[in-house]
Amino acid sequence: MSTFMPYAYFQCPCTDSFPQSRNLGDESPVSVSSSFDQDDRTFDPRAPRANYSLYPLEHLLYCEDCHQIRCPRCVLDEIVTWYCPNCLFEVPSSTVKSEGNRCTRSCFQCPICIAPLSVSSVEPHPEGLGAENLTVGGPYVLNCAHCYWSSKEIGIQFDKPNGIFAQLAKIKNGGEPIITARERRKDREERNRDTSAGPAVDEDGVQEERAANLDPNEILDAESQFSNLKAFYQSQLAEASPTSALTFSGGDYGYGSPGALSRIMGLYTGGSFADKKSKSKKGMMREAQDALEGLQIVSPTSEDEIINRLQTEGWDSTASTVQKDEQSTYTRFINDLRPIAHLLRTKRAKRCKTCRHILSKPEPKVQTTRFRIRLVALNCIPSISINPLSPLLPGQKSAFLVTPLKPTQFLLTFTNPLFEIVKVNIATPAQTPGRFANKVTVLCPQFEIGANTDAWEEALREGSKGIEREKRRTKAEATEGQHQAEAGKVWERGRNWVSVVVEVVPASLSFEGPDFMKSEEMLRDGGALREDEDVLEIPVFVRVDWEADAAHDESGGLSGGGRGESEVREKRELAYWCVLGVGRIAQD
Amino acid sequence: MSKKAPKGEYIETDTGNKVSRRSQIIGTANIILGGKTVIQAEVIIRGDLLRTYPSSSGDGGKGGHPVAVAIGRYCFFARACDLRPPGKMYKGTFSHYPLKIADHVFIGPSSIIEAALVGSHVNIGANCIIGKFVIIKDFVRVLNGTVVPPNMVIPSFSVVAGIPGRVVGEVSEGEVDGFDLRDIYRSIGN
Ligand SMILES: [Zn+2]
Ligand SMILES: [Zn+2]
Ligand SMILES: [Zn+2]
Ligand SMILES: [Zn+2]
Repeated sequence: MSTFMPYAYFQCPCTDSFPQSRNLGDESPVSVSSSFDQDDRTFDPRAPRANYSLYPLEHLLYCEDCHQIRCPRCVLDEIVTWYCPNCLFEVPSSTVKSEGNRCTRSCFQCPICIAPLSVSSVEPHPEGLGAENLTVGGPYVLNCAHCYWSSKEIGIQFDKPNGIFAQLAKIKNGGEPIITARERRKDREERNRDTSAGPAVDEDGVQEERAANLDPNEILDAESQFSNLKAFYQSQLAEASPTSALTFSGGDYGYGSPGALSRIMGLYTGGSFADKKSKSKKGMMREAQDALEGLQIVSPTSEDEIINRLQTEGWDSTASTVQKDEQSTYTRFINDLRPIAHLLRTKRAKRCKTCRHILSKPEPKVQTTRFRIRLVALNCIPSISINPLSPLLPGQKSAFLVTPLKPTQFLLTFTNPLFEIVKVNIATPAQTPGRFANKVTVLCPQFEIGANTDAWEEALREGSKGIEREKRRTKAEATEGQHQAEAGKVWERGRNWVSVVVEVVPASLSFEGPDFMKSEEMLRDGGALREDEDVLEIPVFVRVDWEADAAHDESGGLSGGGRGESEVREKRELAYWCVLGVGRIAQD
Repeated sequence: MSKKAPKGEYIETDTGNKVSRRSQIIGTANIILGGKTVIQAEVIIRGDLLRTYPSSSGDGGKGGHPVAVAIGRYCFFARACDLRPPGKMYKGTFSHYPLKIADHVFIGPSSIIEAALVGSHVNIGANCIIGKFVIIKDFVRVLNGTVVPPNMVIPSFSVVAGIPGRVVGEVSEGEVDGFDLRDIYRSIGN
């Protein structure tokens, strides 16, 4: 409780219309906005929706074309680079499309605890970690250095220390080989060749041919069944309407076009709709008939084995929900879990949803951390920091643990990142919304903040210790004379920052007492104290205006004051809600 | 940072390092400090855990001294954190390997670091354990109480938390400047 850290969250204006917060049942805080706001615009940080529009300033971008704050909800992400977070290799987007969004090298996570797995030889020391160990010679296993799980436990070993992904794709848990999709395709092609060679081969003959290769009653895993089914239906489509064979064999993406649609309709209307010529051929699609075509028949006893296993091995043998979620197919038992190939990560550019201008663009290379474009709100709107005004009293645990009904003063420091002087107006409701109405007074709601200076200028100052002197002077002033915060005056001022005092009378968190002491809302809802209801949050409406260099803004054509008059000034205004979490109210 | 240290808490070196008199730095000959780094009380740096397995490349032993811990500029090691080079068995013998820490690295109180590499602009919270041979790239935040499992690679702009640690979020564009530790260095008086 004593570890409360004050915070300032900014509301992105993309949620401009504040929906009237409704009471969503007992669990949701109610708002009585109508009781004290003149223009129905007081932002209620406790409204259920508020969570979705409040961000720390660092998380916000700024669109210089719209002159507006942009949050993760009102930007568009654009993938620049895919890469594996473990081996840091870039993966071309074409590979992502064909191979999927996981690393296909040797990067795996532990199926038990998700820590990274490392390849090591079975032979020597169990301590062995890292690539150097590989000179020892196989067979190799995947080891978890966090929970000490090993792929040996699921009966999986590898012949080679690299290309684990490809090797794992061929081994079932227990060590039996998996018939890969490619092998299945080959088998299928062989079968097709057999049938086309002798078109009038009798059914049984064909059946026998297949049995030599793959068992039509095989119990398939989800992936093989899917690939078999897909292959079967694709061949059916191709047969049913030969004209479409080309398009469909091209891949899975051909179904959206009008042509494809009419073909599909044709399939279900006996082929006449799409192509008159194909009428002579068998127009109807048949369904899958055996495992080779992806058909799996559920027998009433198929779950007996699972039930048996559950009964004999018990709860401990089953995987947790978290472990199941990481698996690509549904897995009930720990012994059936498989190492998880690392999901790829992306580097993304961000665009303004409104005007499509780029707000942030990283360098595409995986190992570089530079940005080509980075328009962050931090560089465009004043930041706010919160500090207690009075020093800690002895015995007081934290400056941010406030006593009910005792006026407490906080210092709000606004720092201006712009190279222009800005005028700031701040407004708060006299009482905070919610069941516990705290009284709030801003002693100086209007002030000007000086301009920011260039980094190199700052560096020069640093040499002469300018900043420190500046600070000391104001501190001295404070200690000498007017220690009391005065209404209408700023408390302290620096080159590009201003501190003002806000006074809060925290509400009592008690539910007792006469009715006239309680807020309207409390009278309506007297339920127990909810989570974080003791946090003292102040909604603040901030309006910033300044005069920007208009020419500087559209610097596209005019270079270096070609017009000679840099005096084209443009008024800018920005207004937004903030929420300041200043402390926690002590419970009496 | 917050507590005013009593007079003479720190010894300032020629390159501007502020080293607490109450820290334990063992094997100083094998430790490189880039300068302007703050080492608080009760911090332990194990320069004595040297690599014993012969190195194929000269491994930085230019001045004759092999390097066990290399630290860049503007790092901040908070109270009672512990920096020790990672060790492992290799070809039947146990050896330590160097721990490299780049610039602007903040390590919170009571955290234990056994990484192989901690990149620039990294913030590690309090009571974390960074496992053996972990590689942390630039601009990473590790939240309080995280146990980063051995051998994990943490890519840039990750927020890591949990036991075992996993990537729980991304460092946003606006947070990038916040990793700079020059102001914190300046705020440390003697
Ligand atoms: Zn938004
Ligand atoms: Zn990888
Ligand atoms: Zn594990
Ligand atoms: Zn825009």
